[in-house]
Amino acid sequence: MKKVSIVGSGNVGVNSAFFIAEMGAGHVTLVDVKEGIAPGKALDLMEAAPIRSYRTRIEGSDEIAAIEGSDVVVLAAGRIREPGQDRLEHFEDNASTVREICRKVVKYARDACVIVATEPVDAMVMVTAEATGFDRHKVMGIGGILDSTRMAHFIAARLGVSPRDVTALVVGSHTNQMVPLPYYSRVNGIQIDQLLSPEAVQVIVNETREAGTVIVELSKQANAYYAPSSAIAQVAEAICIDTKKVMPLSVVLDGEYGMSDVALSVPCKVGAGGIEEIISITLRGEDLQDFEASAEPIRQLF
Amino acid sequence: MKKVSVIGAGHVGATTTYYIAEKNIADIVMLDVLEGVPQAKGLDFSQAAPLRRYGVHIHGTNDYADIADSDVVVLTAGVPRKPGMDRMDLLKINTEIVKGAAHKIAEYAPNSTLIVVSNPLDIMCMVALDASGFALKRVLGMAGILDSTRFRYFVAEKMGVAVTDVHAMVLGGHGDSMVPLPRFTTVAGIPITELLNKDEIHELVDRTRKGGAEIVGYLKTGSAFYAPAASVAEMVEAVLTNEKRIVPAAAYLRGEYGYEALYLGVPIVIGKNGVERIIELELTSEERSVLDRSAQAVKEGMEALRSFYTMAFK
Repeated sequence: MKKVSIVGSGNVGVNSAFFIAEMGAGHVTLVDVKEGIAPGKALDLMEAAPIRSYRTRIEGSDEIAAIEGSDVVVLAAGRIREPGQDRLEHFEDNASTVREICRKVVKYARDACVIVATEPVDAMVMVTAEATGFDRHKVMGIGGILDSTRMAHFIAARLGVSPRDVTALVVGSHTNQMVPLPYYSRVNGIQIDQLLSPEAVQVIVNETREAGTVIVELSKQANAYYAPSSAIAQVAEAICIDTKKVMPLSVVLDGEYGMSDVALSVPCKVGAGGIEEIISITLRGEDLQDFEASAEPIRQLF
Repeated sequence: MKKVSVIGAGHVGATTTYYIAEKNIADIVMLDVLEGVPQAKGLDFSQAAPLRRYGVHIHGTNDYADIADSDVVVLTAGVPRKPGMDRMDLLKINTEIVKGAAHKIAEYAPNSTLIVVSNPLDIMCMVALDASGFALKRVLGMAGILDSTRFRYFVAEKMGVAVTDVHAMVLGGHGDSMVPLPRFTTVAGIPITELLNKDEIHELVDRTRKGGAEIVGYLKTGSAFYAPAASVAEMVEAVLTNEKRIVPAAAYLRGEYGYEALYLGVPIVIGKNGVERIIELELTSEERSVLDRSAQAVKEGMEALRSFYTMAFK
């Protein structure tokens, strides 16, 4: 069994551990700087194991050295946005947190793949790639995959069909300028424009863009964490079990889609080696301009 | 607890029972005319339950009274085509078997949804509909979901991606004339027409069309049952949980796609009432003509059926 370490044991980190355990994808080590949090959450999860039949072991530690020898490190630390705040708000604070963690990742787990969940995620992918010096294919952010699962939910809900059959694709930056792609969003292969009116598709696109904000506003104090954690677990599983799953992930581009030196979400095939292939798809008409424009808020941060 | 009855305890019936049991959503009755066989398999499944953790009851029987009040009945009964047997002989034998079973199903489980698996599928759906007297939406056939899962596997294998990333639509009759639709076959939403060249796609389509025959070719005396059973279990689950999945299945057409009074594989919304809705796709003229050929093959099968079978159904 592979080892997944999760740095940051807030809602996102702990629920990622929970989903990974349910999948049986790998052993999990939770870490947090706040004393007692990670060991406490890990113990609670392990006490559910006999009923839930986990084959996964979950450990918690206050010491980051516990990530030693990890195959996957998840960055789930940092400040989260509050109602009225933008995802880009905590860039400076979170960048310094991420840089500090990256130094430890290089020290203790230099062969690991890094899954970045800290916001703003595309910028943190760039910070992580630079601070670790890891091959860019080993650093991937939870951007498009999260936006896509949200879009798939909105499609299924509007059609009144099971979400199991729905695939959606959202690329670009994980900001309000994300690029949902209705043409590549399907119900068992069927284009959604064969099932929904153009107006309904536009409503879904808008719902997708606003999805994260709606949850912050509703819950008042907490970010979304179930859908983000499910995305993290999916990527961790792809690496640990070498599933070769294709998912839109934020990766530092180097000429793909005509872009370089910026991290954006594009479809990636993920296996034991991290991102094993960046898949090029045809972006039609405005989608290509929108994709390029979605990089702007990220570039402006640096 | 909901109740599913599986008629026929051969490989397809027994494996279907297994996949449904693993989903832990319904008690299952497995019925066969062979004495002892369903009882033995029912016990064997029940004895695996403590390890596999399903809490459902599985009961094997020869008595149709045991299927009473089933929510779903799966009809797998029928004989496979044996060497020397022509298609007409097979059609006659299986028509008798399906007719007899459908009468019993109508008698003991009149409120069930009937999923037909017996071959030739599109024709046996018609016989089951006619003999059961059930409403149109409550009799449907398992075919497209099987052809699609084969196509999905072949695409995933070719591209080296996870099978769960691949979705596919295969329409038409369940036979050599089935209609795989590459335009509606995707990897994480991306149509394979953007990922593979024409020759590669043609090869995968062709292999899908011959998917059943490829396995018969290896087994010599048997045919596939894991993928067929998995396909049935997905449909059963969607009905029991009213999941409203969009899947290809054989449904009775009344003008949809321009066809009247026949069963053909089309995308449907499947839920607690069986066929909740038929989805009409906009097809290109090329796709359209392949579907027409497929419908023609089904019409010929219907003609053959009418040559010896008088339908009560209007």
